[in-house]
Amino acid sequence: MNDGIDVKSMHDRGRTPSQWKYVLCIAPMAVFLIVTFFWPVARFLFKSVDNSDLVSNLPRTVIALADWKHTDGIPGEDVFAALVQDLADAHANGKDGIVAQKINQRVVGTRYLVIKTARIAAKGGFAKEALRENVLKRFSKWGNIELWSAIANDLKPLTEFYLLMSVDLQKNPDGHYESVPEEQAIFLQVFGRTVWISIVVTLICIVLALPVAHAIVAARPNVARVLITLILFPLWTSLLVRTIIWMILLQGNGPINSTLQLLGVINKPLNLIYTRFSLYVAMIQVLLPMMIFSIVAVMRRIPVNLMKAALSLGSPWLWAWWRVQLPLIMPGIFTGSAIVFVFALGYYITPALIGGPREQMISSFIAFYTNKTLNWGLASSLSIQLLFLLVLVWLIMLMSRFVFLKRTEK
Amino acid sequence: MIRNAEDVRRWLMNSATCLVIVYLVLPLIVLIPISFTSGNTLTFPTPGWSLRWYSEVFSDERWINAFWNSVVIAVSSTFIASVFGILAAIGLTWGKIPGRNLIFTLAATPLIVPVVIVGVASFSFYASLELVGNRISIILTHAALSVPIVLTTISASLRGFDRTLLRASASLGAGYWRTFYKVLLPMISPGVMTGALIAFIISFDEIVVASFLSIGSQRTLPRLIFSGVRESLNPAIASVAMLLIVFSAFVLALVVWQHSRRVRLSNR
Repeated sequence: MNDGIDVKSMHDRGRTPSQWKYVLCIAPMAVFLIVTFFWPVARFLFKSVDNSDLVSNLPRTVIALADWKHTDGIPGEDVFAALVQDLADAHANGKDGIVAQKINQRVVGTRYLVIKTARIAAKGGFAKEALRENVLKRFSKWGNIELWSAIANDLKPLTEFYLLMSVDLQKNPDGHYESVPEEQAIFLQVFGRTVWISIVVTLICIVLALPVAHAIVAARPNVARVLITLILFPLWTSLLVRTIIWMILLQGNGPINSTLQLLGVINKPLNLIYTRFSLYVAMIQVLLPMMIFSIVAVMRRIPVNLMKAALSLGSPWLWAWWRVQLPLIMPGIFTGSAIVFVFALGYYITPALIGGPREQMISSFIAFYTNKTLNWGLASSLSIQLLFLLVLVWLIMLMSRFVFLKRTEK
Repeated sequence: MIRNAEDVRRWLMNSATCLVIVYLVLPLIVLIPISFTSGNTLTFPTPGWSLRWYSEVFSDERWINAFWNSVVIAVSSTFIASVFGILAAIGLTWGKIPGRNLIFTLAATPLIVPVVIVGVASFSFYASLELVGNRISIILTHAALSVPIVLTTISASLRGFDRTLLRASASLGAGYWRTFYKVLLPMISPGVMTGALIAFIISFDEIVVASFLSIGSQRTLPRLIFSGVRESLNPAIASVAMLLIVFSAFVLALVVWQHSRRVRLSNR
């Protein structure tokens, strides 16, 4: 035995390099996804707290304002000197626009104030003596204490400003958190609306999917195949095309309205498009196939004779269905609901095209703050909220599924 | 009596199913007559029939240009996703990689994260590289969105693949590449083709990422439709939508055909 082959070490030697080969196979995809997906998303989400555009362009002001509190009144000569110097540098480096934008996001209507101040500062337009008075004489807005406390409150490399704003909160001059004024509070309402729309869509999908799934499972194989193809076909058609079709169908002089008018049911066109109704109709048509397929996948595995057994024991059909069939379908309903709900939460194109202003969901606002106002911090904060919602939904789904399975096992 | 109640139930179930199917499919069918209208608006019933909007679409350089943009972008992103997907599927299915399920989950995140976030994040990323409006940025983002699909379909066909065939091929003197091309790829081709076709259609129909990244002459077909719709709903849009449906149906037919091939291959 002593001159025998050490089988174990040979096995290990043979095994290690071959595993490396497989790791090397996975590496390209991993690197690709990190570069084109994970890194861009992480980089974008970081913008929700990133304050470097403001802080790095106002280095002297940051130091000068360190000990200033809003109860001290309008800052003194040294702060004004620091600000004028910083803005002059920012103008020279072409950064005055971004500084103005960041300050304007905090106190609306100060964009031109900052840009003009920077331009004059760069030209040396403010006299060195009595600088503070000089600036205040030209731009009385710099005498606004709220502007100063908004700036001083937020001169840190990382800011909570955008995250707070995305849940309708703000930091008051004392450093406490408070709700924003009512006319500015929009985001919690948008979140509520997004969740509500997604819940309604998911519930209606469940109700509509159940009979179809039953019919597919009960049908002969050929009929079932035709039904599945008919459901697969719209799923396969582009989301944009389906949304446009609903726009055409629901518009004032579209087929639905003209048919109803022809039949004399109505005498003037119904207002169908740009309503909550049109959004539901379009979203459910898009998402329903996924619910149907999730339920069918589970139903196919349920033995048919369970229902028959319950019925033969004298149970009324609905009761048998409720007690025997439904618990077995539940996992499919959970999976389908998770898919439908998560997709619904992120809807952007359909509400943008077919919903009115009161139907816009979080995604539309993320796009809006990116495209229209370039407020990356807010767009990113809203995205974080959306992802948070998503994770929450998945956790609830997992938990309810777990609890449910525990209960049915008993 | 019971017999009767069951009939009623079946009748209810079947009619509910029919109504749902009508709801799902009829809108796509109603588009056919509307797209052949001779009028200037999308009214129905149409004032008359004509091919004028189709000929308008085919003679408009913007539509043709956008179509080719979409084809180039979809083919390139499908190719990239398939290459990475095949390699990773081999590694994940055959290797004993620790945390394999975690890798599968992470690779699936591009499908789960709302597209608008992917779109905005890519826009910000590629803007910093000055690649917005360049096809490359859309191709790479679409490829990332397609990787999960390709990975899943190819992994599924690899699991049904008998690995002794690789050893047989190697024992007959074939090298890695030869074995890959002559043995492995033909055997898993239905899975690869299905994944690739789905990846193609994901990219071809994709609008959210495109709405952020494709501008000017680089606009994709969905992007051009989207901006067209926002201006006005005219019959040309309906014709393009109809063409897109026909195109998707054609690709779907290919997928179904590949699927039946896979079933036949695995039954052999």
